[in-house]
Amino acid sequence: MSVQRCGSSDACAHLDEICSVRLNEALFGVPIRHVIEIVGACRAQPVPLAPAFVGGLVHYRGDVLTAVSLRQVLGLPARGKPEDFLVLESSGGAFGLLVDSVGEVLNLSSVDFEPNPSTIDPRRKDLFAGAYKLKDKLLVMLRPDRLDPACLGKLSV
Amino acid sequence: MERCLTDLEQHPDDSALLSEIFRAVHTIKGTTGFLGFTRLEKLSHAGENLLGLLRDGKLAASAPVITGLLQLLDSLRSILKNIESTELEGESDHTALIALLEQLKSPAESEPPATAPVPRTARARKSTRKVSAAPHAPTRAPSVRQPASTVAVEEDSSAALSPPPAPVQTEPLMGATAPAHASASESTLRVDVALLNRMMNLVGELVLTRNQVLQATSADPGMTLLSRRLDMVTADLREAVMKARLQPVSNIFSKMPRLVRDLSQQLGRRVRLEMEGQDTELDKSLLEAIKDPLTHAVRNALDHGIEPPEVRAGAGKDPEGVLRLRALQEGSHVVVEISDDGAGIAVDRVLAKAVERGLVTADRAAQLPERELLQLVFLPGFSTASAVTNISGRGVGMDVVRTNVERIGGKVEIESAPGRGTTLRLRIPLTLAIIPALIVRSAGQSFALPQSALSELVHVPPERATAIEWIEHAALYRLRGGLLPLVFLDRLLQVSSDSVPDPACDRFIAVLDADGRRFGLVVDGLADPEEIVVKPLSATLKGIGLYSGATVLGSGDLALILDPGTIACKAGITITEETAASDSVSAQADPEAIDYLLLEMAGRRAAVPLADVLRIEQLPLSRIESVEGRPVLHLDGHLLPVVDAGDLLSVPADHPEAKVIIVVCREGSRQVGIAVSHVLDVARGSALFEAGTEQQAGGVTLLKQQVTGIIQLEDAASLPLVAASARTFEEAIR
Repeated sequence: MSVQRCGSSDACAHLDEICSVRLNEALFGVPIRHVIEIVGACRAQPVPLAPAFVGGLVHYRGDVLTAVSLRQVLGLPARGKPEDFLVLESSGGAFGLLVDSVGEVLNLSSVDFEPNPSTIDPRRKDLFAGAYKLKDKLLVMLRPDRLDPACLGKLSV
Repeated sequence: MERCLTDLEQHPDDSALLSEIFRAVHTIKGTTGFLGFTRLEKLSHAGENLLGLLRDGKLAASAPVITGLLQLLDSLRSILKNIESTELEGESDHTALIALLEQLKSPAESEPPATAPVPRTARARKSTRKVSAAPHAPTRAPSVRQPASTVAVEEDSSAALSPPPAPVQTEPLMGATAPAHASASESTLRVDVALLNRMMNLVGELVLTRNQVLQATSADPGMTLLSRRLDMVTADLREAVMKARLQPVSNIFSKMPRLVRDLSQQLGRRVRLEMEGQDTELDKSLLEAIKDPLTHAVRNALDHGIEPPEVRAGAGKDPEGVLRLRALQEGSHVVVEISDDGAGIAVDRVLAKAVERGLVTADRAAQLPERELLQLVFLPGFSTASAVTNISGRGVGMDVVRTNVERIGGKVEIESAPGRGTTLRLRIPLTLAIIPALIVRSAGQSFALPQSALSELVHVPPERATAIEWIEHAALYRLRGGLLPLVFLDRLLQVSSDSVPDPACDRFIAVLDADGRRFGLVVDGLADPEEIVVKPLSATLKGIGLYSGATVLGSGDLALILDPGTIACKAGITITEETAASDSVSAQADPEAIDYLLLEMAGRRAAVPLADVLRIEQLPLSRIESVEGRPVLHLDGHLLPVVDAGDLLSVPADHPEAKVIIVVCREGSRQVGIAVSHVLDVARGSALFEAGTEQQAGGVTLLKQQVTGIIQLEDAASLPLVAASARTFEEAIR
C-alpha cells in the first residue's frame, strides 16, 4: 500500500520519501514512488458537466490527463488561481492531482507514522492512510490509488 | 490460402496454386503432429489426402471439392483460434467433415486403381498414416527434396503414430518456401501498435511545440529559416508516422472472394467479383471499422442487387453478374465503392415499403424527390426483401452500414439506376487520429466541432437577435424557409445561468447534421478551423457522453471535442423530421433548383453549385505556386489547379502578406481551386430560359434576383497544361 511499515530485514525505523503538498495551511503527502512528475503553475481546462471531484483536463507530454482537484475532493471551494499538479501513476493509467502548491520531498521515519484515528470522517478514511508527526504539524498521507478518478467516480455513485 | 482456393475454382488446372495450398495444409499437419494436437492433425491429414489427389490430376477441382476444402479451412481456423485462446484444441467433432473429405475423394477411386485402397483403410488411424504418405511421396518431388520425404515415409511406416517424423517433414518444406519470404522479411519489421500510437502522440506533441515556436519566433527574421525548416521536418515526420499505421485495404478485400462465392452459391446467383485499388491504404483502426459495413453491402448487393441468372438472361443481360469493389484515395478521404450491375433499387418499392412500415407518411413520401427516396433505405428497420433469409431481410443492413461509417466520421452515398445497378460509396477519412475541426467558443472556453458533421455556419449579429424565435422554451431559427431547432451550447453544458441569452452579443449558429438529425448549435464565437490531434478521455469523462475526446490547440490550450450525435440526443432532436419537412418545402417550391455558393471575384458575382464545394480556405498569396505559368495550390499533399478568373493572384509584390480565399471544389474525380475575393452567401438558384425559344440558358442562374454566372469547373480541365502538369506533379510527389 502507500506507506511502508517497518521493514522486515532492517530493524524498525526506516525512511520513507514523501512528496509534500499544501492545501491552504494543511500539509498532505504522497509517496514519491507514485509520482511520475511534478508540473508547476498550470490552469486546468474545466470540463462542464463533469463529476465534482474533477478539476479539469491538463496537458501532459502529448496526453490529455483527467485531473482530480484535491480541494474539490475534500469539499473546499475552488481557488481560481493557477495550481501545481502531480502526475500520479495508477492502475488505470496516469492522472493529475491538482493542489495549491507542491512543497519539498521529505525523508520521514516510519517511527513517526500513525494510522488514521478512529474519530476521522468515514468518507475521508478511505482517502487517507494515516499521518506523520512532524515537529510543528501533521502531514496527512494520501492514498493515490483511491484518488484515481475511476475510483472516485465509483464512490460518488 | 482462402484466396488460393477461390482462385483455384476459377483456374482448376493451375498447379502452382495447388502446390501452394498443399504446402500450407501440409505444414499445418506436420507441425501439429509434432506438437501433439491430434484432432488438428487428423483433420489436416484428411484435407491433405484430398489435395494430393487434386495435385496429381486424379481429381478435378469441382465446386463441391472446393466447398469441402473451404469447410476444412474454416474448421482448421476455429481450432487454431481455440488453441490460441485456451491452448487446447477444443472438443468440436470433425468426423463428419473428415468423412466428407473422404467421400469427395471417391470419384478418383474409379480412375486410377493404385489409389483404390486408400479410402477404405482410411478409418484405421495406423494405416492412414502409412497410406497417406504413400500417394504423396512421389508427387512431393517437384516442391520438396525427395530424400527428406522418403525418410518421412519410412519412419511413418515403422512408427505409425509417433510424432518425431513431423519435424523432418516440415523442415524441407520451410526450406522450399523460405526464399520467397526472405526478401520481405529483410525489408519489413513487425511493430507493436502501442508503440505506433505512442509515436503518434509524440509527433502530436512535436506539432504543438512547433506551433508555439513558430508563434514565438515570427518576429525574429533570423529565426525564420530555422523555424521554417522545423515546420517542414515536423510535417514530414507526422506524415511518415501516420503512414506507418496504414494498411492496404486488401486486408479486408481478400475476405470478399470467399464471401461472394458462398453467398452466390446459396442464393443461386452467378457473380464475378472484380476488385480494384487493393493497395489503397487506410488507418488500421478504420480498416477494422469498415469490415462490417463492407460485408453488409456485399450481402445486400448479392441478395437484392444482382438477379438470378435466368432473370438476367431474360432482361438481355449477361447471366453472370458483376460485383465491383473499388478503393481509391480522394484528397484526405478514401472512397470504397461497392457497385453491382443488378436490378438497381426500385424507387416505388422503396416508397411503398417505407410507407407500409410507417417510416414515412404517404403525404410526405409523395413530395420527396427521387434522391431523397433512395436515402430511405438507410432508415433503421428498412428492408425490401419480402422474406427474412439468413443473408438479409432483417432490415438492419443499410442502417448498420451508415451508422458504422458515420461513427468513424465517414459518409455513405448511394446511386442507383433501375435495371442497371446500384453503387454504394463509403467515404472514409484517412485517419482517425487527426481530424479537421472547427474551434468554437462558448462561455469563455474552446470546443472543437468535427468538420464532418458541420454543414454551414450562420452569423446572428446583435441587431438581428430577434431572428432567433421561440416556441415556449424551444429556440428556432428560420433557415431558408425551414425552421431549424437550436441548441445553446452554454446552456446545454450548464455553464451559463441566465435562461434567456443576452441579446447584445454576437451569436453564431453552427448547422450540424448528425446521423440525419439536423440542428443548429449556438455558440458565442468562432475561431479558425484546425487539424486537431484527437486524444482519448478517461472513462470518467467519457461517461458524460457529450465529448468524444480532447485536443491540444495550436495556442497550447486544451479543447474538448463535442460529439454532435449525443448532443442531438440530449437535446431531444429526433431524426430527419425537420430535414424532411424543410427539404420538401423547398423542393416543392422548385424541384429543379439547387443551392449555389455565391462568390465575388474582383467586383464580379459568380456562383458554384454548393454540392461541389469541398472547403473554403483563406491562405497567404505566397502559398499559390506556379507550374508552367499556371497557378497551382499545394494542399494536404495534393496539387490543385487554381482557376483565377478574377485575376486575383497577380497582386503586387509589396504585399507579401496578402491573403486570398480559395474555394476548393470537386470536379469529377479531381479537385479544383477557385480564387475569389469574397464568399457572399448560399442561395437557391433555378435555371433561366431564353425568351421565345424557351431553351435553357447554360452557365447562368438566377440568384437573389440577379443573373449570376456559374463558374464552369470543367474549364479547368480543358486547360491541358494545368491538368497534365498537375497529374505529373502528383505522380512525382508520390
